[in-house]
Amino acid sequence: MANINLFAILRNLEDLCEMDAETRSIVKGKKMSIQFTVKGGPSAVFTVDDGKCALRRGNESCDIKLYFTSPEHLNAMFDGSKNPIPLKGLTKLDFLKGDFIHLTKRLEYFLKPTDELLADPAYLKINTYLTVYTAGFALEQIGNYDSKGILNASRIPDGVISLSISGGLPAVMLEAKKGVLTTSKGVAASARAYMTFSSLEVANAILNGKMASYSAVGSGDFVVKGFLPMLDNMNKLLAQIPEYVS
Amino acid sequence: MDVNTYTKSRELFERALKVVPAGVYGHQGPAEACFIPADAYPYFSTHAKGSHVWDVDGNEFIDFMCAYGPISLGYCDDEVDGAAIEQIKKLNCATTPSGIMVDLAELMVETVDMADWSFFAKNGNDATNYAVMVAKAATGRDKIILINGNYHGVSPWTQLYGYPGISQADVSNNIYVDWNNFEQLEKVVSEHRGEIAGFISTPYYHPVFQDNVLPAEGYWQKVRKLCTDNGIVLIVDDVRCGFRLDMKGSDHYFGFKADLSCFCKAIANGWNISAICGVDSLKDAAASVMFTGSYWLAAVPMAAAIACVSKMQRINAPVVMQGIGKKLTDGLVKAGAQHGFDLRVSGVPSMWYMRIANDDSLILHQEWVAECVRRGIFFANHHNQFVNCAISDEDINKALEVADEAFRIVKAAHPEIGR
Repeated sequence: MANINLFAILRNLEDLCEMDAETRSIVKGKKMSIQFTVKGGPSAVFTVDDGKCALRRGNESCDIKLYFTSPEHLNAMFDGSKNPIPLKGLTKLDFLKGDFIHLTKRLEYFLKPTDELLADPAYLKINTYLTVYTAGFALEQIGNYDSKGILNASRIPDGVISLSISGGLPAVMLEAKKGVLTTSKGVAASARAYMTFSSLEVANAILNGKMASYSAVGSGDFVVKGFLPMLDNMNKLLAQIPEYVS
Repeated sequence: MDVNTYTKSRELFERALKVVPAGVYGHQGPAEACFIPADAYPYFSTHAKGSHVWDVDGNEFIDFMCAYGPISLGYCDDEVDGAAIEQIKKLNCATTPSGIMVDLAELMVETVDMADWSFFAKNGNDATNYAVMVAKAATGRDKIILINGNYHGVSPWTQLYGYPGISQADVSNNIYVDWNNFEQLEKVVSEHRGEIAGFISTPYYHPVFQDNVLPAEGYWQKVRKLCTDNGIVLIVDDVRCGFRLDMKGSDHYFGFKADLSCFCKAIANGWNISAICGVDSLKDAAASVMFTGSYWLAAVPMAAAIACVSKMQRINAPVVMQGIGKKLTDGLVKAGAQHGFDLRVSGVPSMWYMRIANDDSLILHQEWVAECVRRGIFFANHHNQFVNCAISDEDINKALEVADEAFRIVKAAHPEIGR
């Protein structure tokens, strides 16, 4: 869950800054870097640089260093029930309490859709982009770190899976190599297996659980082709996402 | 050449989606059946005869899937259906079974070389479930050895942990080995001495998405001896191959004798019945296992099975089907080569597997199969195909004509092929 929170959910701020002016305005003219270090869990660096956000795996020299005693501790921070332990940047914690909270609230707004919100095409577009990216990057985390997910990932034959909307973005590529998964954004130039949603609306409905993917395959709204054993086993990872992201 | 349209199929599917999970579920649904692209395929049929099926839009197909195997003699075979209709007039489901259960059991014992007794159920999955239970009952052991990638039905023990609905406990007694790897099997048996109840496998390796593989020289004979030496029940899942290789059973075809053999598909030409045949030493254990169902001893499918097995014996159906399959697949490979396609055919010709091997994604294969289906030749994408005895030379010629056109169309879309 800690991996998902960082690398599938928080990572979305990179895209949200590009797509949403209000998010961009929160970090306009700001420069800040935050190190997340989790005992027995992942490390990541979140940076803000004049209207842009980025998240990278690993450790770097940062303005603020936050330590978490366990993955559960990190997860508790994301659900607002616990605070991190600051190791560096005590004078800069206002950013955490202010701008960072605003950023995550804005992200939450776009990741928790209601029918009313989805009626707005602009909202639907951003929600779909973020949902596709969340799913794509969550697949990597579940396939590489969840015990059942590791089993299913090990059954994905080597190659690249393309997950996209007909005609282009949002799109992610999931590369499987000897059971290890790597997700990246963008349309695959060449893939071994393809999953293509016919429209943003269909992608949104399927990924938000309002349309059954099996039904959509039959109706032609969700097109699969290529080396299907890759998709078959990836689907089992997709089915695990709701265990982590709701 | 005319191309099919499926307006009524889609209308029905829209209705089905509202009241049936996935519209059409399981192996006959567009998702599991790998209908790629979905708009190339019909979803619902109206009637069939011999080798031909008509869909709800009136499109006619020569069907090389044979309902995924059950159609062995041809759709709506007069002899088989006639026997069923006669039986309907007398008795089907009753408090005590019809005496024809004994007739069918005797016929199975006469027909199948390894059989000393026969037990009846409805689906292949019933047969494999029962066989595994009998093996456990007979040996007092818990573990079963399976081949990686083999299909034995949909019960939890036949699936893999991590699949929806499957717990670790469901598969905790399974041990997996690779097909044709006797040394690996021998090692596993040695490591679990006294723990293994049964070894279950199809007669040859026929998973989906992979070239099918026949047993290596001497493989089954070594497996037989290993099982005998270690008190392991040797179970042959002949659900798919049964009566398409050999009327005496596929173990007979490959020169060994199984302890339990599971039959289904071809046994009654589409009527709903399966059978488990066993050796005498397992009869008491088989009797001790409580395993039954409301319709398992229904008489109508038994009457159909008697007629079907009798007719298949009379015409030597496995030889007929293998001849048809060989003629067709030779023609398909040749047609592909003429357009620069490397069409690989594997398995036994009466239920061959094929794939275009020019790419590793199978996309060319999916495109070619879709063009065939649009023109009335029903192939499956990634499952083995099936032959029935009613397929004529005229059907084969038509199939080859369509296949040739489909290759030409795919080649036009991929001019790099064959360069």
